[in-house]
Amino acid sequence: MPALVADDLTRSFDGRVALEGLSIEAEAGEVIALLGPNGAGKTTTVRLLNGVLAPDRGSSTVLGLDPTTQGDELRRRTGVLTENAGLDDRLSARQNLAATAAIRGMRGKEIDRKITESLERFGLGDRADLALQGASTGQRKRVALARALLHEPEVLFLDEPTSGLDPAATRDVVELIADLAKSQGATVVLCTHFLPEAGRLASRMAVLDHGRLQAFGRPEALAADLWPGLEATLDLGGAAPPPTLDIIRSCRGVLEVAPTDEGARVRVEDRHALASVVAALVGREVPVFAAVPRPATLEDVYFALQGRGDVAEEPRP
Amino acid sequence: MRHVDRGAVAAVVRKDLLAVTRSKAVILPMLLVPLLLLVVLPAMIGLGARSRTSPDISTFLNQLPGDLAEPITRLPRHEQLLVLVNGYLLAPLFLIVPLMVSSVLAADAFAGEKERRTLETLLHLPIHARDLFLAKLLSAFLPAVAVSWAGFVCFAFVANGVAWPVVQRIFVPTRLWLVVIFWVAPAVAALGLGVMVRVSARAKSAQEANQLGGAVVLPLIFLAVGQSTGLLLVDLPVAIAIGGVIWVVAGLLCWRGAVRFTRDQLATRL
Repeated sequence: MPALVADDLTRSFDGRVALEGLSIEAEAGEVIALLGPNGAGKTTTVRLLNGVLAPDRGSSTVLGLDPTTQGDELRRRTGVLTENAGLDDRLSARQNLAATAAIRGMRGKEIDRKITESLERFGLGDRADLALQGASTGQRKRVALARALLHEPEVLFLDEPTSGLDPAATRDVVELIADLAKSQGATVVLCTHFLPEAGRLASRMAVLDHGRLQAFGRPEALAADLWPGLEATLDLGGAAPPPTLDIIRSCRGVLEVAPTDEGARVRVEDRHALASVVAALVGREVPVFAAVPRPATLEDVYFALQGRGDVAEEPRP
Repeated sequence: MRHVDRGAVAAVVRKDLLAVTRSKAVILPMLLVPLLLLVVLPAMIGLGARSRTSPDISTFLNQLPGDLAEPITRLPRHEQLLVLVNGYLLAPLFLIVPLMVSSVLAADAFAGEKERRTLETLLHLPIHARDLFLAKLLSAFLPAVAVSWAGFVCFAFVANGVAWPVVQRIFVPTRLWLVVIFWVAPAVAALGLGVMVRVSARAKSAQEANQLGGAVVLPLIFLAVGQSTGLLLVDLPVAIAIGGVIWVVAGLLCWRGAVRFTRDQLATRL
């Protein structure tokens, strides 16, 4: 049974559609990414899935619970890192965590010990009792993450977990999330517009644009849908002249060919077709210095999907 | 019927109270205004009144309607001004304190959370919307009542202390003062926060909430000031009934606020 299912989730604010017809799912222990620019509907999705907002249309279940009618029960089992960390600067890291734990019904010396351990785990042991005023963005993110994980949630919603962080802090947080997903087995919904972290962490991604789902699936499957076959670059020692391009086009399994400064870029049905192209060129005494398959990257897929509709037929970069 | 999650409510109240004690911007006006109204002013007025040698205030007392002046006129002449000023005329100031403190804290209840960007985190926690509303009411109500009562204790010490050389007895609190302190003042605090918590839920910042709420709360303050001197001169049952009416209005405002209060409504305004 999936840990999370959204079916046709739709929500508007004052007549403006924030999310329309979102249908996604996540298996238990899976990390999925919600990708999209600001205003794409990622935060609204999290709020709907955690029962903070009610949908205008559609439904969802998270851990088998309906967020709209069983919100409090659900929120006991989920953790959320909001984009702005949401910490009270007047309080210390320990007090922020203790307050949240108390609201969650976690009390006693055992919790005090757990808070201390958690803060130390996130490298905050030395400033656990200092007010958060003056803490860096990275420290605040780590406190917020420690708070979101304190009750060992089964589903974790992370909204822009690395926004505002410097590269080193970003790397730390990404590694932390990867470790959490692996060691705790939590289902993670990662909202981001930073593609490298999504590529590193998520097995499936939902690409949102202006509240509409553009695609949902594994990056390689989405790439295969967008660009059937295999793309490769041929290093021919210089731009391929028209006769060379004709040789390539005449080979079986070639879908597309275009000249580049180094030679040519080809799209072929499979790697056997690529081998045929190389053999044909060598047979016609065209030197082939390299033939390098280039699988689609997450960036390729994302930007192609973001541009779908107006530039859908353009070859990917 | 759903039970209130007392643990969660208490946790939110504790968090809010802890945060208030850490915020000079909130705590200073909360303490300075009562200090001025309930300590400095009665001390100055009392000392001023004490220095006059048996002033004749009968003209003023005769202008009071009905037998309202009777409790004063039956006193020895040298006590009349002191008892009138510190025992009766300063009562309006006492009711300003719970109204002001509850309004300031209630304005911060949701709008302050929005401003600090902590509200969304709160909405993602497993606390029922009604419990959250109740917690926010209590977070404003309890300090307002505590500050008022503590302020009154100070006021009683100052008023009696300043008057002692002349009056030679404790004249504050009277039975009516006790009604005002324990019955009317909490009702006034509840009235202020019944208005302000709802305003706060709609406003984007505590400042905006104070501005919007001020339009409602300021007339209430003037009303309280205008009526509360009389409150100390009416019969005990009438004072209790007036407090009861304020409680009913405050209760209705809070109840309507709770009924209309939803997570979705708050999240929509984030």
